[in-house]
Amino acid sequence: MQIIVCLKPVPDPKHWHRLGLDPQTKTLIREGIPNIINPLDRKALEAALRLREKEGGEVVTLSMAPSSAMPVLREGLAMGADLSILLSDLAFAGSDALATSYIMATAIKKMAPYDLILCGNQTLDGSTSLVSAQIAEFLDLPNLMHVSAIEAQKSRVFHVRSQIEHGYMLVEIKAPLVLSVAKEINEPRYITLMNILEGEKKEIRVWSSKDLSLSEPWVGLKGSPSQMADLFIPEAKKKVEILQGDPSEMTKTLADRLHRMGYC
Amino acid sequence: MDFKLSEREELLRKTMREFAEKEIPPRMEAMEETGEFPVDLLKKMGDVGILGVITPQEYGGTGMGNLARIIILEEMGRVCPAIPMALQVHHMATHALNKFGNEEQKKKYLPPLAKGATMGVVAVTDPSGGSDVAGIKTSAKLEGDNYILNGRKCFITNSHVSDYWVVIARTGEGGRGLSAFIVEKSFPGAKPGRKENKVGLRGANTGELVFQNCPVPKANLLGHEGEGMNIALQNIVEAGRPGMASVALGILNAVLEQAVKFANERSLYGKPINTLQAIQWHIAEIYADLEISRLLVYRVGWMRDNNIRSDTESALAKQFACEAAARSARKAIEIHGSYGIMKEYPVQRLLRDALVTIPAGGTGEIAKLVMARHALGMFK
Amino acid sequence: MAVNKTVQSKIWVFTEQRQGELAEVGLELLGKALELAHPAGWKVASVLVSHSLENGLCEQLLSFGADEVLVAHHPLLSSYCSQPYAKILENLIREHNPEVFLLGATAMGSDLGARLAVRLRTGLSAHCIGLELSPEKKLLAVVPGWGGNVLARIYSPHTQPQMATVMPGVFDMPQEKKTTGRIVAVEVNLKPEDVTYRILETKREAIQEHALERAEVIIAGGWGIGSKEDWQAVENLAEVLHGMVGATRPPVDEGWAKENQMIGQSGRTVHPKLYIGIGISGEMHHMVGIKGAEMMVAINQDPQAPIFAQCDLGLVADFKEIVPQLIGSIQNYHKTKQKDDSDLSH
Repeated sequence: MQIIVCLKPVPDPKHWHRLGLDPQTKTLIREGIPNIINPLDRKALEAALRLREKEGGEVVTLSMAPSSAMPVLREGLAMGADLSILLSDLAFAGSDALATSYIMATAIKKMAPYDLILCGNQTLDGSTSLVSAQIAEFLDLPNLMHVSAIEAQKSRVFHVRSQIEHGYMLVEIKAPLVLSVAKEINEPRYITLMNILEGEKKEIRVWSSKDLSLSEPWVGLKGSPSQMADLFIPEAKKKVEILQGDPSEMTKTLADRLHRMGYC
Repeated sequence: MDFKLSEREELLRKTMREFAEKEIPPRMEAMEETGEFPVDLLKKMGDVGILGVITPQEYGGTGMGNLARIIILEEMGRVCPAIPMALQVHHMATHALNKFGNEEQKKKYLPPLAKGATMGVVAVTDPSGGSDVAGIKTSAKLEGDNYILNGRKCFITNSHVSDYWVVIARTGEGGRGLSAFIVEKSFPGAKPGRKENKVGLRGANTGELVFQNCPVPKANLLGHEGEGMNIALQNIVEAGRPGMASVALGILNAVLEQAVKFANERSLYGKPINTLQAIQWHIAEIYADLEISRLLVYRVGWMRDNNIRSDTESALAKQFACEAAARSARKAIEIHGSYGIMKEYPVQRLLRDALVTIPAGGTGEIAKLVMARHALGMFK
Repeated sequence: MAVNKTVQSKIWVFTEQRQGELAEVGLELLGKALELAHPAGWKVASVLVSHSLENGLCEQLLSFGADEVLVAHHPLLSSYCSQPYAKILENLIREHNPEVFLLGATAMGSDLGARLAVRLRTGLSAHCIGLELSPEKKLLAVVPGWGGNVLARIYSPHTQPQMATVMPGVFDMPQEKKTTGRIVAVEVNLKPEDVTYRILETKREAIQEHALERAEVIIAGGWGIGSKEDWQAVENLAEVLHGMVGATRPPVDEGWAKENQMIGQSGRTVHPKLYIGIGISGEMHHMVGIKGAEMMVAINQDPQAPIFAQCDLGLVADFKEIVPQLIGSIQNYHKTKQKDDSDLSH
C-alpha cells in the first residue's frame, strides 16, 4: 500500500504565551518558538504506519513549510516514515487553505501512484480544517473527515468510521482516497532511541516551485483568494454575561444555551 | 566551542519529555507512599532504549552515549527525580560491565539489562563507610572455583529490584586488595536485606545486600584481582557522578518551573508576585543555578563521549548541581509561602529529593578533596 | 438542469439536513443572514439537498424567514456524499451567482464547504465566530487562530461567492415569523457512479466517561454547596449532562467529594469544553486548574465572588433555586431527542 501523510509543523502550544503581535505588519512574531508535528497529523502518521505493518508498502510524508521545519520532518522519519518530501519555496509563503491545497495536490500528482492520503482533521494554528477536503477536490478523489477507525479490506476497499455529531457513520469507500483523522483514532507510538538513529539515515527531499507544474495562479499570498483584513488579540478580560431575571428565567436561558451548544 | 545541542539531542529530549510526562505521573503517588520503584515501567523503558543508552548496539543497547544519557536522566528527573536515581545506578552497572567485562560476561549480562529484564546495581558502600573505599570489609576468599563472599553492602540503590549486582569485595590487603564481582541474586547466600526509608527520592528503592558464604564463580570476577578500587573509582567518575548530577538537573528544572508558575499566578496586593523584586531575585538565582549546573554536567557528558579524562569535572558537576538543587528548592519553597510547606504541593518534595542527592553517589566533601587536589597542582 | 423560477437571493445558506432532520446551525445562519441581508437590500435563500421535495422541511425553513428555499432533490441523495452534493451546489451557484454562501461548521458543512470552494475557486473562511458585511458589501469573517488567543477578520476581495462556515451556537436561533417566501424546486441529474462511497451504518451513541482530565463536561462544586446532602445536586447535574464531578478543596476536606476530584493547583488540571462551577468563589488556586474551557458557567450567591470576572456566563443566585429546575429542563431535551431517534428509520 502506498500511503502519503500530510504533516504540518506548528508552533509548540507550550510556548504560545510567548507569542507577540507585530502591530505594524499585523503578523505574528514566531521567533524562538519551537515547532512540533501537528498532533492530529502525528496520529495520521501513526495510522499509516499501522496500515503499513499490516499490508506492507511505503509511507511518505509531505509537508509545505520553510526549510527550518526539517527537524520536525526528521521526527516523522524517526517515527517510521520511509521518506519525507518538503515543499519549500518563498513563493509559497502566505498561502491560504486553497493555495496550500492546490500546491500539495500538485505535488501529490507527481508522487503517483498512491492508495491513500492521510491528514489530521485540523491544525493547532490556523485550524481551518479545509486542506484535506480541498486536496481531495483538486485530485477529484472521494474523502472522509473526522475518521476514528480505518480498516483495509480486499481489492483496495476500506471500511472507515467517520464521526458525526453525537455518533458516527461506517462507510465503505474505495482507493485512491483522502482521509482526515480525528483524535479518537489512535495513540501514537513513542519514538525510541533506535528510531532516532534510524531516522537520521532516511531522506528529506526538497521540492521548490520549479519542481512542480503549478499551472493555476493559487500560490502564495498573492494567489490566495482569502485575505486577512485585520488581526487582533482579544482582550484578556473575558466578556462576562451576567444573566438577568429571576432564578427561573436564568435557568431557562442557561438550559437553552446548553442545548444549542450540544450539551443536551 | 559549540554550545548548541545537535538535532539528534534535541529530538531525544523531546521524545524523552513526552515519555516522562505520560508514563511517570500516574505512578508517582504510589512511589511517594511506598518508596518502591515502579517495575512495570522497566520493560517500556527498555523498549524505548533508556536502559541501554551507554551499552553498545552489539549487546542490545544503542550506544548513543553519555550526553544522551544525561539528557534522558534530566528529562525523567524533571517529572520525578526518584526515577533517574534508579536509572543512573542501573547505568553504572552497564558501564562497569561494558568497560571491564570480558566477552562472555558482556554477552550474558548486558542484553537483559538493556531490555529491562531486571535492573542493575553497583554495590561499593560497606557499613564501614562509602567515603572510605579502601576500608571495605566485605570479603571474597578464593576456594577452588569460587570466591566465597561474606559481608554487607548498605545504602544500595535498586537493591530489591535487581538480579545482577556489581559488588566490590576484599581479596587482599589494603587499597589494592579489592576486586569486583558480578553477583546474581540467585546465587545461594546472596539476598537483599533491609529496605531503607528515605525522606526523599522515594520510588528509588534503597536497601542492603547481604552475603553469607555466597559462592561466586571465578568466571564472574570482573576485570582482574586487585582491580576493584580502580573499577570503583572509574565507575563513579565516569558514570556515578554525572548520573547523580543529572538527577539534580532534573530537580532544578522542576524547581524553576514550579517557582515561575506560582510567581506568575499568585497575587498579593492586587498584582502577581512576579512583580516583586525579592521574588525576581529568587527566580534569577534559581535560573542561574540551573544554567550553571547544566553547563557543568553537559561538559562531563561531552568529555566522556570524547574519551577525555574527567575526574575533577565530574566531581565539580556532582557537588555543585546537588547543592544547587537543594538551595534552589529551598528558595522555591519560600516563594510559595505557606503553600510551600504543605504536603499537597510538590515543591516540598523537591527539597527532600535534593537533600538525598547530596550524600548519594559520593559526598560533597570527597568531591571537594578531588577538586582541591587538582587546583593545588595547577600553579607552583 | 431545469430551474422553475429565477432565483433572486444574494445570500444563500446551506440548511443542512441529515435523515430528515434540520441541523439547528442552518437556522441560526438563516437568522444571521437575514440580519446581514436587509440593510444591503438583499434577499436570503435557504438551500436544501435531499432525496425528495421535503415539503415539511421547506415549510419550516420558510417560517424562519427564508425568502426562497431552493430544494435540489434526487433519489440518489438519500445519504450525504461529498462529491455529488458539491457538484450539485456548484452548478446551482454558477447558474445564479449569489454573493455569499454560508454553511454550518459541522461534519457535513465543513467537508462540503471545503470541496465547493475548490470547485468555485473561491476563498472560504472556516469556523467563524462572527460575520459582518463591509461597506463594499464584502463578507468579513471573524475567525480564531492559534487556539483562540488571536482573532482575524478574513475576506475574499477578488473571488465569488464569499464563503464561510460557522460553528453551531455562535448565532442565536431566529424567531419564527409569517411565511412570505417561496419554494424553488431544482431538478438534478445524477448517475449512480457519482456517489463515491456507501454508508453501511449510522449510529448515535451515548457519550463515554473519561478521566477527569479528559472530561469535556465538568460540574464542579465548592464550599458554597454547604452540606453533603446538598452535594447530591452537583452529582445529579453532572450525570444528566454526561459529565464528571469536580471540586475545590473545602468539599474534599469535608468529605463531600473525593481527593481525586479536586481541581486546582494542588489537584487536577482539567481541560473541559463546558465547566459549571457551583458555590465556587473562583480563587486562584482552583481556577488555575481549569485550562481552556470554551464555556465557563458560574452559579454563586455572592455577586462579589471573583469567579464572576472569569466566567463566560454568570448566575448570581442560590444554586438550590437553579439546579433542580435546570436538571428538569435538560431531561426534557433528552426526552425529545430520544423520541426523535426512535422515529428515525435508518
